[in-house]
Amino acid sequence: MEGTTEKAAVTETPRVDQLPGELKYIKYEHKLEAEYLPAIRALISKDLSEPYSIYVYRYFLYQWGHLCFMALHPVDSSLIGVIICKLEPHASHSPPTLRGYIAMLAVSSQYRGHGIATELVRRAIDAMAQRDADEIVLETEETNIPAMRLYERLGFVRSKKLHRYYLNGNSAYRLVLLLRSVDDGAATHYPLDDRGIALR
Amino acid sequence: MSNPGIIATDITKKFLSACKTLETGEIVKDGYFTLFEAVGALEIGDPKMDSGCLAPGETLEETYDVNRDLEPAEVLGIIDQLICLEMAWHMGYPLSQTILTSVYIEALVEPMPVTLEDADFVRKRTPWDRYNPRDVMKKVLRAYCLGLVRTCSDVLETIRDELYYEEEDFVTNTYRRSLLEHIDRSEIRNEIAAAKLILHQVRERIGIDLAQALTFRLELRSAFLRALELIEDVRGSPESLQIPWCQMHSIWEGMLKLSGLAKEVPEAFSTKLQRKLASSMPPRPIVTLSFAEAAKHFMKLCNDAIDAVKILDYHDSQSLLNFVFHFQAQKPQPCVYIRCLLQNLIFKDMILLDRLSIRQVMDDDLSIVVMPAHEFLDPINDIVEGMYDYRAAISHQMENFRKRSAQSYIDIFRVLCQNRCRVRRMLCHLIQDWEQVQLEAEHVDQVLQHQVDEEPLDYQAHTTLTHGQEPGYHLPLSSWAYLYKLRLMEWIVQLGFELEVYAPDELAGMYWYLSHLAKTRAQHVERIQAFTNHRLNESRSSRKPPPNTPWIRPSQPHHPPEGWPLGITSSVFPPTHAISPTKEPLPAQSTSFCSPTSAAAYHYDTSAEAAYIRSLTYLRSTILDAAITWEFADTVSVIYTLLSRLGLIKPPPRPYGTDKDRYEVRMKPFKSISVPEVPSFETWKAHSTGTSIMPEHSGPSETEEEETSEQLLSFALQAVSQAKKAFTVLEGLSEREAFAAGGGGFSLPSFDPLHATTTTTPTTPTPSTTTHPPPPPQPLPQPEHNQASKHRTKPPKAGGDTNAG
Repeated sequence: MEGTTEKAAVTETPRVDQLPGELKYIKYEHKLEAEYLPAIRALISKDLSEPYSIYVYRYFLYQWGHLCFMALHPVDSSLIGVIICKLEPHASHSPPTLRGYIAMLAVSSQYRGHGIATELVRRAIDAMAQRDADEIVLETEETNIPAMRLYERLGFVRSKKLHRYYLNGNSAYRLVLLLRSVDDGAATHYPLDDRGIALR
Repeated sequence: MSNPGIIATDITKKFLSACKTLETGEIVKDGYFTLFEAVGALEIGDPKMDSGCLAPGETLEETYDVNRDLEPAEVLGIIDQLICLEMAWHMGYPLSQTILTSVYIEALVEPMPVTLEDADFVRKRTPWDRYNPRDVMKKVLRAYCLGLVRTCSDVLETIRDELYYEEEDFVTNTYRRSLLEHIDRSEIRNEIAAAKLILHQVRERIGIDLAQALTFRLELRSAFLRALELIEDVRGSPESLQIPWCQMHSIWEGMLKLSGLAKEVPEAFSTKLQRKLASSMPPRPIVTLSFAEAAKHFMKLCNDAIDAVKILDYHDSQSLLNFVFHFQAQKPQPCVYIRCLLQNLIFKDMILLDRLSIRQVMDDDLSIVVMPAHEFLDPINDIVEGMYDYRAAISHQMENFRKRSAQSYIDIFRVLCQNRCRVRRMLCHLIQDWEQVQLEAEHVDQVLQHQVDEEPLDYQAHTTLTHGQEPGYHLPLSSWAYLYKLRLMEWIVQLGFELEVYAPDELAGMYWYLSHLAKTRAQHVERIQAFTNHRLNESRSSRKPPPNTPWIRPSQPHHPPEGWPLGITSSVFPPTHAISPTKEPLPAQSTSFCSPTSAAAYHYDTSAEAAYIRSLTYLRSTILDAAITWEFADTVSVIYTLLSRLGLIKPPPRPYGTDKDRYEVRMKPFKSISVPEVPSFETWKAHSTGTSIMPEHSGPSETEEEETSEQLLSFALQAVSQAKKAFTVLEGLSEREAFAAGGGGFSLPSFDPLHATTTTTPTTPTPSTTTHPPPPPQPLPQPEHNQASKHRTKPPKAGGDTNAG
């Protein structure tokens, strides 16, 4: 999803040299919706050419709120960063894998450069690993060097490039982190949908 | 609800009370409500999502008056903007953000005009209007727009008929707008011609330069229509198809010289028009492309089309493959229309290149690669009578094999015509298909070898890369399949480099793996070569008439490619058998094509000897290609190893996952391939770090010994010089010898080995090509050349022998 992009450019507010103290990292819960969903939407929409409808957020947060983490300001508890994920069986593989997916990641521009995004991703990976994820995947824009560096430092590798994946015409990389070997000994089955339009 | 069949029940109250039990934000959904549905939802009233949402005071309809008078410079400005939008559409942006943002186009196509006369910016012309000629400038703009819309319709149709990826390569949605597909191209070209004439008449009044600039644009439109008409309906020789594309290119040169005359009319384009389109998408901006960028793109389109149609000039299956491979490897890649055009030219109506069956091309390929003058390919097998004749059995088996493998063979060409990201992904699927083809071919091979009582051959004595004493069978069909599988595997790895999929610290290992694959391919080709040489010798000494080869005659017999006298001689030369001094030649069967200008006439030698020579030439060029690949890959691999040792490439910390798991991700496409099997992680790691595993010194317990950087460097130096040597040989090959015939020398980057052959003289055939089958190439680097680095020179574990499976 486009939301995975963590854009470093265009900061309206200058970056802070030092964080205002120890940030609070908390797991999202449904009861926090009224307090934090508008802020989550605002933070993520900032870098998007097209906003997602509220249903996209609810789709993730209602089903996988436990895989969503927020970084909050230590003083006023305002939202500084957020990560949104899902974890589902990926059926087009044989045998099916339990695949985690990082859908959106955003950090308020003035607080970038302090490892907040990395910390959010680590928490998400840990949460998914704890729930027996076999692998974690995501897409990121090829021009988004900071995001790719972040994920690659943690252990993700690029598995494929996706041509003109985003609305702006940019291509993406699919990044994969294998948490356990999915060696089935048998033939690799590529997802059917991957073939797209059948070869004629 | 008055229908007696329907009993209506009011559930409003129930629904509302049920809703009260839900908290805000709670989702009630079934299992079919996926992320896709969630993303498709729009919020009404949000101006960023709701295209019908009006700002205070905003009008719903566009208020631009298409009937207003236009200055010539404004018409030029509108046309130039349309050119930019048209190119943006070709680049993959939807019509809704490009051409359909023009109020003139909208007026022209909506509502759908029934006749050409209807298609105008202002409809319902009164009878009086009909006698009142259209305003000159609107006539010009209308003619241009008609041409534009109609070409879009043809382009769209060509793309839709071929394999492309929707919203990735191209958006075919027309939002239920007519693109005038029902209006005849020639009628529109007449309108354009009429507009040109009027421009000519008023040129003094509006200024010579402006009139010329507008005329160029009308001519561009007319030529584009003609180009598409030729491709869609007429066809013909490559030269005739090229003419309008060449015209367009020259027109562009003229257009660029007359710049600075246009006056922009931004108000003639509006995103408001998106509201009226059949789509629920949110409002999206007009794609902005500069005129200079559009010009560059358009001219590349013309150049690529000029090159693409050359593909119809077929000479042999391997030249065809090389053409497609190198044409698509251009950077930047040809745009989606050109990629679909190429597919159209190759596959239209399942007649390859407008004249060949799939079987003809496949048989040509089998004949070149593994079975020159082979009885399995003899067309006579298909017409023998009698169920128990062994030739009928051969024919039956071969037909089954063709049916089984045709799709996989054709898919190679289709896949290569996709965008580079897709090429890599689809090749990962295709090697699975070829794995199956190879397996099934082994079975057919065994049946066939039994039919003809084949004797096994101690082929390893004839090769330099493999060692051993095991005699083997020819296994031509599975050998053919294995060779393709290996090539596709190499391409997957090479595309990984091209698309920057591998991390810097993986490069040493991945280049080593490429080298490993290329060596495996070379070994395999040597095996094929041994059998082909053996068969040639037998054939020469045999009194039996050789089998017929299903040759394909060249499409352009009067234009022999450079380096032609390979089995094919000009009529002024004696036929092949007269210049074959060593052996008694096989009976030559030659077909002669005579042109009215007899100087260009030449014979097309269809003898068995010629088939053998062609095949051995191919095998030689393939080994050269493999050698260059492995030597250069070895060099680069060592360089990356050294960069890692020097700390210039540092792996990131990677607290999650293991290197072994990451290697599993890397090798996933190859995991299910039986031969060559994926090297173990330990082997791969050892090669990427320059740590040799030497079982010969250590017996069961292997000792690891790191090679010194000096040793590695000297190894790299040797490898690169070998690569250079092999490259020089390949470069010296003629088009024919390098299997690059028929491309007509299209403009490729100069480093391209298979096409950089313009310096050799066609009239001076090298001895090896006219008299003997080419020997295994002498300057070919051998993998055993280096003592300093034993692990790198060990023959690859997975042998080239298809018997192994």
